[in-house]
Amino acid sequence: MKMADLIDANPNLLLMLQHFNIDFRVSDQTVLQLCTGHGISENLFISIANLYNGLEPNGLIPFTRNDMVQVIDFLKHSHHYYRSDKYPEMSSYIRQLQENHSAKELKLLEKFFKEYFTEVMEHLDYEDHVAFPYFIALLKNEGNSDGQERYSSIEYGEHHTDIELKLKDLKHLLLKYVNIENDLDLRRKLFFALYELEFDLYIHSLIEETILIPAGVNLEKEKHA
Amino acid sequence: MRKPSLHIAILEPSRIISEGLQTVLYQSDLDCRIHRTETLEEFTELLESVSVDILIANPIHFVNREKEVRKIRKQYPSLSVAGIDYGIIQKQSMLTDLSFTLYDSAEHILHVLMKLDKKNRLAALQKNEDDNLTKREIEVLTGIVNGMMNKEIADSLHISIHTVVRHRKNITMKTGIRSQSGLTIYAISKKIVEIEDIEI
Repeated sequence: MKMADLIDANPNLLLMLQHFNIDFRVSDQTVLQLCTGHGISENLFISIANLYNGLEPNGLIPFTRNDMVQVIDFLKHSHHYYRSDKYPEMSSYIRQLQENHSAKELKLLEKFFKEYFTEVMEHLDYEDHVAFPYFIALLKNEGNSDGQERYSSIEYGEHHTDIELKLKDLKHLLLKYVNIENDLDLRRKLFFALYELEFDLYIHSLIEETILIPAGVNLEKEKHA
Repeated sequence: MRKPSLHIAILEPSRIISEGLQTVLYQSDLDCRIHRTETLEEFTELLESVSVDILIANPIHFVNREKEVRKIRKQYPSLSVAGIDYGIIQKQSMLTDLSFTLYDSAEHILHVLMKLDKKNRLAALQKNEDDNLTKREIEVLTGIVNGMMNKEIADSLHISIHTVVRHRKNITMKTGIRSQSGLTIYAISKKIVEIEDIEI
């Protein structure tokens, strides 16, 4: 299958390409050609593309150590997208809304958003500085901290739920309660940004839960075998 | 779904005007039932048996009886009032939602009434879907917004912590908002608390 056709069918895959650090000008390459050219296994590429298409990995083909390294790279790239793209974008929309409208709660909404994103950043930092190095050590067979895996999985879970709940709050507030009218262009942009962020964060946690963490657990078992 | 026919009451002692309006309404496409009354008392009585959607009133009947009219409007929030503008009553806008004059075309009068009906149904729809919090839930919400812990809220309202937790669950279910800062924004949007009352 040609990559260009896949993108046509689901443009969200562009985001996936970006997280894989693959250029959008995919020419006439098939998925296999593209994967080979970038040193990514077809199994991993298709598993993640399926997540973007709403399908969970079937787990039939186990992921390799190289796959894990690629997954971590992928997740790191998506952190960049949250930090340097989505956050400033949404932040500026909310700022503009606050300037255009007198509703008092907008000031609080901005504060809410900042707090929310502080939490998101903390989670990203945690992954960058604790979780990912742990996985990398595990991959290189260097890790020697028993039980840390379990601890980090649980912490992952908690962080994710909290982040998802706050995002839901933000959506509900904007859809149902905050007293602003008109300014539809700006508000639509904010909504789209919110939904894009929500979608990618969702995929992000799915990758961790269905690919990274199970693979980590397997590696630990292997080590103790 | 077919919507039920509109109940329109006319409050106008002049038979010529009242019958004229009735004719215009019955000859239109508007699916309606007309109830003619001549005094405010008669109209109030009618309200007890019929759920009137729109009242077309000669505002002269409201003069010096503003209090009564307000009470009726409060008691029957789904009732809208169209005033007949005789060009003499200045303050009618306080008590009527819209007005028309007897020299307006039949089309215009119908248009005005349809607009009222639409507004009415929209308001009813909003009310149905509203996240109506009970008085107790609003009290608990105020506590949450002010940063009180469950125990403090329980003590101040003389209820158990268990009950506070139950109220919190219901608040979240009704509003869709879970976090404390989100609930604060909700409370301000709904004018349950003033922004000045909160430490930011």
